[in-house]
Amino acid sequence: MLNPAMLIAPLSIGAIGAGLAALISVTDKIVNNYGEVTININSGKKEMTVQGGGNMLNTLAEQQIFIPSACGGRGSCGECKVKVTSDIGPTLPTELPWMSSEEIKENVRLSCQIKLKEDVELEIPDYLFYIRRYTCTVERISDLTHDIKEVSMKLPQGQSIEYKAGQYMQLEAPKYGKVKEPTQRAYSMSSAPHEPARIEFMIRLVPGGIVTTYVHEHMQEGEKIDAIGPFGEFHVRDTDAMMICVAGGSGMAPFKAIFNDMIHTGRINERDCWYFFGARTAKDLFYVDWLNELQEKYERFHFVPALSEPEETDDWDGETGLITEVLDKYLKMPELANAEKEGYLCGSPGMLDACMDVMREKNDMPDEKIYFDKFG
Amino acid sequence: MKMSPQMVKAQENMQPGVITANGFLGDESAPLVDLIARDEDTMHELGVDFDDAADRLEWLLEEGRKGLGEPVTIDGSWLVKTDEARGHLPSPFEDGIFRKVNATIRRADGSRDEIRVSHLSLHLMRKYHFLQGKGSPFRIEPNTLKSVLGL
Repeated sequence: MLNPAMLIAPLSIGAIGAGLAALISVTDKIVNNYGEVTININSGKKEMTVQGGGNMLNTLAEQQIFIPSACGGRGSCGECKVKVTSDIGPTLPTELPWMSSEEIKENVRLSCQIKLKEDVELEIPDYLFYIRRYTCTVERISDLTHDIKEVSMKLPQGQSIEYKAGQYMQLEAPKYGKVKEPTQRAYSMSSAPHEPARIEFMIRLVPGGIVTTYVHEHMQEGEKIDAIGPFGEFHVRDTDAMMICVAGGSGMAPFKAIFNDMIHTGRINERDCWYFFGARTAKDLFYVDWLNELQEKYERFHFVPALSEPEETDDWDGETGLITEVLDKYLKMPELANAEKEGYLCGSPGMLDACMDVMREKNDMPDEKIYFDKFG
Repeated sequence: MKMSPQMVKAQENMQPGVITANGFLGDESAPLVDLIARDEDTMHELGVDFDDAADRLEWLLEEGRKGLGEPVTIDGSWLVKTDEARGHLPSPFEDGIFRKVNATIRRADGSRDEIRVSHLSLHLMRKYHFLQGKGSPFRIEPNTLKSVLGL
């Protein structure tokens, strides 16, 4: 039979443990209770009272103010900058990698790293007041290549979105498998603004990527998924300069949007546009028929696909070589060399760097006339 | 071996779904310090220096990037293919952020051994002697490392 005395020690220890846990909990509530704080945005243009203690990025999102954040608030994209005009202490070590000395002087801060402990005043671009979260329905998922999917989504009934061709949205993958919290990543829209009730993306599988793995392996047609936006400064400038567009892989997305928008507005007949698209083999190319059709139909549109390693079975008679080599060759042709030009780039960071080098260093295109989406 | 608070936090961040879908630990659940100690012993036995190997791998990665995603033969000895995505990954030790650039490195003589590294994995190798858990896609197996680098 169990001796009751044997229970005394464990029960006593348990009671002491429970008491300590309660004490810690109460202390935590007292010490970490920041009460209500006021956020004043753009000198009173918007003012809100919120519960303190959360990070600024998430707290603002709960108030339907969405600061761009390609990493969803993990401090790894450096996009969620806001200018703080009240004193909230010095820049944190986790912010420093993303800040120029000018920004530190101006008290620009990463909103995902700022804990709201006191009233705060900040400045953000006015357009952020119009960013919205849309709960979309996945209409269609299709394979463009072995590792790129095209995903088309319908906005909720009666809602529409206004954006510029080339801008991006943040998609939020829900919890799945071992991923314990919703995760956001930024993707360029491939849909065009004249169809405001749907949005479309091209998403390449990134090995180990949380959101791209979700899209490629778990997302189903008919499911709901949240998209926040639109964001970004990558869009066509309203000039008559020749457009030099360069992309690889899923970097095709904003250009599909841009070309369809130019067709819709008629601008495709009004300015010269060269589109260079690089791939390794023919199986990595997509939308080639459509782009060739555009080239045939519109005199001022030119499509130059290039394969770096065509296979014998590809039966390829187009340009061969790295996209940078092909770009350089064309930029030296008198028709292009003598024209006023603007560069538009979308692809991996390495491709962007290499193309910028070709445009700037080898072909004297001015820095300020080369545009790319800098998220990530 | 005792885990410091920094190691405990890093091991939490290494779980699947926190920074990457697959995490950094593969199939292993032992304390991080024990995984590191085991690999330090193996590297010592093999006579492979962490810093020297990381420097060599980083050089191969950067040379491989010149292929803009296509395989590149380097010095006639290695075949390197890099893959880049937009965005950054934070270190699980919360001590930096790294571009999503990774490289698959193998000998050009057709041997099957290969090593997959990224800017982040090289940082973890150099600073913490962490080669990732067995079963992780970015595991740097010491024997394979020695064979691929020809050390």
